[in-house]
Amino acid sequence: MSHPPVELHALSKTYRLGFFLSRQVRALENLDMVIEAGQVYGLLGPNGAGKSTTIKIVMNLVQPTDGTALLFGRAPTDTAARRQVGFVPENPAPYEYLTGREFVELAAHLGGVPRAEVRTRTLEVLESVGMARAADLQIRRYSKGMIQRVALAQAVVHRPPLLILDEPTSGLDPVGRRMVRDFILEERKRGTTVLFCTHIIPDVEALCDRVAVLVNGRRVREGRVADLLTGATPQVEMVIEGLSERQLRELGRTLDEVQALEARLRVRCSDAEAQQLLGQVLRAGGRVSSLEPARFTLEDLFLEALSEARQGAVGGEIL
Amino acid sequence: MIRSFLAIAYNGFREARRNRVTLVLAFFAGLLLLSSSLITDITVATFDRVLIDIGLGGMGIILVLLAVFLSTGLLAREIERRTIFMVVGKPVSRGLFLVARLAGNMLTLTILQVLMGALLLVEFRVLHTAITWPTLLAMGMLWLELLLLSSVGFLMSSFTGQMTSAFVTVSMFFVGHLSGDIYTFAQRSKNEALRALGKVVYYVLPNLERFNLRAQASYGLVVPAREWLASAVYGVAYSAVLIWLAVLAFRRRDFR
Repeated sequence: MSHPPVELHALSKTYRLGFFLSRQVRALENLDMVIEAGQVYGLLGPNGAGKSTTIKIVMNLVQPTDGTALLFGRAPTDTAARRQVGFVPENPAPYEYLTGREFVELAAHLGGVPRAEVRTRTLEVLESVGMARAADLQIRRYSKGMIQRVALAQAVVHRPPLLILDEPTSGLDPVGRRMVRDFILEERKRGTTVLFCTHIIPDVEALCDRVAVLVNGRRVREGRVADLLTGATPQVEMVIEGLSERQLRELGRTLDEVQALEARLRVRCSDAEAQQLLGQVLRAGGRVSSLEPARFTLEDLFLEALSEARQGAVGGEIL
Repeated sequence: MIRSFLAIAYNGFREARRNRVTLVLAFFAGLLLLSSSLITDITVATFDRVLIDIGLGGMGIILVLLAVFLSTGLLAREIERRTIFMVVGKPVSRGLFLVARLAGNMLTLTILQVLMGALLLVEFRVLHTAITWPTLLAMGMLWLELLLLSSVGFLMSSFTGQMTSAFVTVSMFFVGHLSGDIYTFAQRSKNEALRALGKVVYYVLPNLERFNLRAQASYGLVVPAREWLASAVYGVAYSAVLIWLAVLAFRRRDFR
C-alpha cells in the first residue's frame, strides 16, 4: 500500500526557553494533516503561527513534543524517507565558500545520485533555474535571488517525489518570486508533491490545490482553495452617496464593513442584506453609484480565520 | 553511507583549506620553524636538542590552537549561519554528519601536520640534526592529542556555543597536561575531599601528558613500544567515548 507523502497526527511542539529551560512556548498544538501525492499544499499563517515548526519537524530538524509525523509512512528520522524529499529552508544558507556547482554536487552525493550522473544532473538543474552561467562563482558572491535558485537546484537534483519549501518567495524581488512560482508549477506538472509555507497570500492562491491556515499553532481552516472561497457567504460591495455613516447605520441593516470615503460610503454586506439595503437607501434620499458582487479572496478568508482565532496575539502561546 | 561520509568529510577539509585563518596559521608555522634555526645559532653545546624541542613545541602549539579553533567553531558556525539545515535535511543521519565533520577536521589537521613535519625534517637534514625514531614518534603522539582535543571540542559544540566550547577545550588542554601534578599535590593534602577531587581529575579527565614525548625526542630516548601503544589505545578509546557522547547530544538537539 502506498502511503501519502506527508501525514501528521496530533502533532504538538512546545519549546523550552531560558537558561533553566523554565519558560515554555507552545508552537504547535494537535495538528492533523494529510498531503496526498501530486498536491501542491500551502501552509498559510502569520509570523509565529507554527508553519516553520511543522516543516522542521517533518524534516527532522526539530523533535515533536507529542504526536507523529510521517514521510511516505516512515518517521522523518529514517534517512530512506528523507531521500524522497527535496528541502529548501527559509532564507537558505548554502556553504558560501563553495561555488554553486560544488554545492549542488555535494547535495547530489548526499541525495544518492549515481556517481556517474552527478556532473550532468548538476548542470541540468543549474540550467533549469537559470544559474548555469554563475555556476562556478563562489556562493558568497551571489545575490539573495541567486542563492534561492541554487537552493532550489540542490533540492531537486536527486529528483525527489516530494518538495518542501519554507517561505520560498520571502524577501525576493518580483522577478525572483515569479521564478519560484514557475519552478513550483513546473514541478507540479512533473507530478511532484509540494508542501510550502508562506504568509504571502497571492502565492497560495496562484499555486495551491489545498491550504491549511495556522494561527497560534492551531489549524483553523483546511480544504481545497476553491471550496474554501466558494463556500463563503456571497457578498456585495456598494458605493452610496448622499447619506452620512450615521444615517446609514440608522437604517438598521447588518453591514460587514463600512468605509467612509470623501462624500461617499463603501459598504460591504451579504447578498441578502443588499436587496433590503438598496431600497432603504433610495427611500432615505441616498444614491447608489456602484453595486457589484465582492469576490471573497483568500486574504479575506485568512483575516477572518485570524480574527476568530486570536485577539491581536502574535507568535506561539506562552505557557 | 560511505559516500555521504566522504562527501561531508571532504567538504570540511575544503572549508578549512579556503579559510584564511588556516593559511595564516600555516604561514606562521613556517616562520616559527625557520626561526628555530636562528635561535639555535646562539646555542653551542645543545644545538640538536634545542632544535628538536623548539620545532616540535612550535608545531604542537600551532596545531593545538588550530584544533581548538576548528573543532569548537565548526558546528557552532553551521548552526549560527543555518547551513546545517541544508545538510541535516538530507538523507544523512545526524551521527554520520557529526563523525564525518570530525573526520574532515582531522584530515585538515593531519595534512597540516604532515606538511609541518616534512618542513621540520628538511630543516633537520639541512642543519645535520639526526632524524630519530623518538622524534617521529613524538609527532605521531601529537596527532593523538589533536584527535582527543578535537573530540572534546566537538562534544562541547554539540550542545553549546563556540565561546563555551573553546573555553572548556582550552581548559581541558591545560588540565590534561597538569593532571599528574594536580594528583600529586592533592595527595599531599590533609583534606580528604581535596584528595578525592585530585583522584577524580586524574582518572576522569584526559591525561594529555601521555602524548607528550618531546623530552624523549630531544634526548633521543627510546620509548618502549608497550608504553606508546598503550597511550595510543588510551587516546583512541577516550576520543571514541567523547564522540559517542557528542552523537547522543547532537541527535536530540532542535535546530530552530
